[in-house]
Amino acid sequence: MSRLIVRTVDLSKVYRRGKVSVLALRNVNLQIAAGEIAGIMGPSGSGKTTLLNLIGGLDKPTNGRIFVDGVDITALGERELADYRLKKVGFVFQFYNLIPTLTALENVEIPLALAGVPKNERRERALNLLKMVGLEDRAEHKPDELSGGEQQRVAIARALINNPSIVLADEPTGDLDSKSALALMNLIKDLNRRNGQTFIIVTHDPIVAERCTKIYTIRDGQIESA
Amino acid sequence: MFVWSIAVRNLRRRRLRTALTVSGIVVGISMMFILLSLVSGMESQARSMVRALGGADIIVSNSTSFRNGMGGPLGALPSPSTLDESIVDAIGGIQGVYAISPQFSFSCSINGRRITVYGVEPKSYEIVTGGLNIAEGRFLIENSNREIVLGKALMEFLNLTVGQTVSLNTGQEGREQTFNIVGVFETGMFFQEYAAYITLADAQNITGEYGLITQILVKCEDPSIVNDVASAISSTVPGVRVTTPTAVLQQANQMLNTLTMFFATIGLVALFAGSFGVVNTMMMSVTERTREIGILKAIGAKSYDIMKIFLAESLLIGLIGGGAGVAAGSILAYLFPTLTSGIFAIGISPFGMRNPFSGAAGRGWGSRATSAIIFTTPAITPINIIVCFSLGAFVGILAGLYPAWRASRMRPVEALRHV
Ligand SMILES: Nc1ncnc2c1ncn2[C@@H]1O[C@H](COP(=O)(O)OP(=O)(O)O)[C@@H](O)[C@H]1O
Ligand SMILES: [Mg+2]
Repeated sequence: MSRLIVRTVDLSKVYRRGKVSVLALRNVNLQIAAGEIAGIMGPSGSGKTTLLNLIGGLDKPTNGRIFVDGVDITALGERELADYRLKKVGFVFQFYNLIPTLTALENVEIPLALAGVPKNERRERALNLLKMVGLEDRAEHKPDELSGGEQQRVAIARALINNPSIVLADEPTGDLDSKSALALMNLIKDLNRRNGQTFIIVTHDPIVAERCTKIYTIRDGQIESA
Repeated sequence: MFVWSIAVRNLRRRRLRTALTVSGIVVGISMMFILLSLVSGMESQARSMVRALGGADIIVSNSTSFRNGMGGPLGALPSPSTLDESIVDAIGGIQGVYAISPQFSFSCSINGRRITVYGVEPKSYEIVTGGLNIAEGRFLIENSNREIVLGKALMEFLNLTVGQTVSLNTGQEGREQTFNIVGVFETGMFFQEYAAYITLADAQNITGEYGLITQILVKCEDPSIVNDVASAISSTVPGVRVTTPTAVLQQANQMLNTLTMFFATIGLVALFAGSFGVVNTMMMSVTERTREIGILKAIGAKSYDIMKIFLAESLLIGLIGGGAGVAAGSILAYLFPTLTSGIFAIGISPFGMRNPFSGAAGRGWGSRATSAIIFTTPAITPINIIVCFSLGAFVGILAGLYPAWRASRMRPVEALRHV
């Protein structure tokens, strides 16, 4: 087995809402190898999104550690976490991924702008990625002028623009018809083969699951099988 | 950076809301602007009034202001009441008086245009007031005959040149005389330049008021004793009004400071109300775009980046509001004299302010003096434009701070749950 890119150690997450607390993850020990397309499946409310958000540095665990490329991200401060999200990981959500007032090209450029890349280089790199996801002719379109599948492909381009080690996708085909879902998965497989990026995809969709290199099933906040 | 694109496009996307929010700022800023312009106008007029009073420390005139009623329309002024020349000696004998210069001013028509003509004794006039600023030719000389010095604006209006002659007409039967133009004076204030200077003897001759004068200009031995000399004059010479221009200027400045504070308060209150609109709009904008904030944070935006996006938006509202406010205020300021001239004609009439100021040290004349200055032409100054425009921007930023902070503090996970 190749190098581990993500390793969680006794990861737990408790959500507290006033007096009610929800144990969303309990002692999750997960290991994902670099270059995998890892599928995370499980019933609704089982903690898939929670796990993905923790790996992506969007939230802090209640207990446990997360190592990404050997770095314990649970030890990072808020600014360092923002930097981690900017450079190490890319996010794709189920829908409304894009900033509605910006064009496809500008959306892809955001992470570069946040990283302080000069405008000309930004343009060029964003256009290249749009070309890679097959949307170079949609560069100047706003999100509401794009189909759901096209929007998701723009989101993937944006997730990839800073050359992250991991792309995290939370039900990326959840809002797509099967044809668009298939196209998106083929794109992911293609990118994975070409650039070796690790994808972690939360999904219910068999079209996605069939194309993952590995499936993790989560139930009641625990990993069932590996 | 994409910060400005996002801000501009969000404002454009909600045109009506943006317009309403901006108009709240426009009202405050334009109000502030016109009020400040009015004060500036008053200020420059107060300054020029005192300049119009000349360099004299004290001006002595008859305690009744006008001889012949209220005069005619704009520019036609009633002539001041007269004093007997004998009081010149009385005043000259008062301790602390360095020099005096009698003067006879009257309303007169020159080539058909009614103006104020001053009859002065050239030598003493220059000693007491420091003299006129001569732009061309020369000032009057002692014992010159039928010579006249005209204001630059009047020269241009009447299309005259030095060396030509003009005809003065007091309006009385057979009182028309011809004068040689020997010089042109300049003050920079066009209405002050609608005036002419001749010798005192010529003035008395054309009006037939021999042995009479209208004012005595006094220069004191030392500026510090002006008030003492002024009260000595009031107590020794009966029936005169004694004016000290510096006292008038002080009084005017005091009044203007109060007015500025008052107006600025009104403007700020309006602006404060308008800024609530901005806060409200920005809070709405933040709430509407919760998901957007979540996405931006998820892809690596720092709190500071989020803050910038929303501050840019409220700053833009402030800038547009400030710009439009200054523009609207300028238009109002420009129209102001037209809108009010019918009611306050006396206030803006050339030299009209000279008489209201001739109260005993301005006392008891406050209201007259005030009305003379208030209803004046607002001055649109670069300072006021900069102040009001920056104020708009400042209010925009200020009103955006809290909403932007709220946006920046949103936790990404919470924000992303929002659809
Ligand atoms: N911010 C939150 N506050 C409180 N409870 C939450 C929050 N996020 C998720 N939960 C709860 O945690 C559990 C796991 O949620 P989630 O990770 O979203 O599940 P999944 O993505 O598998 O549907 C659920 O019971 C959910 O209601
Ligand atoms: Mg979920």
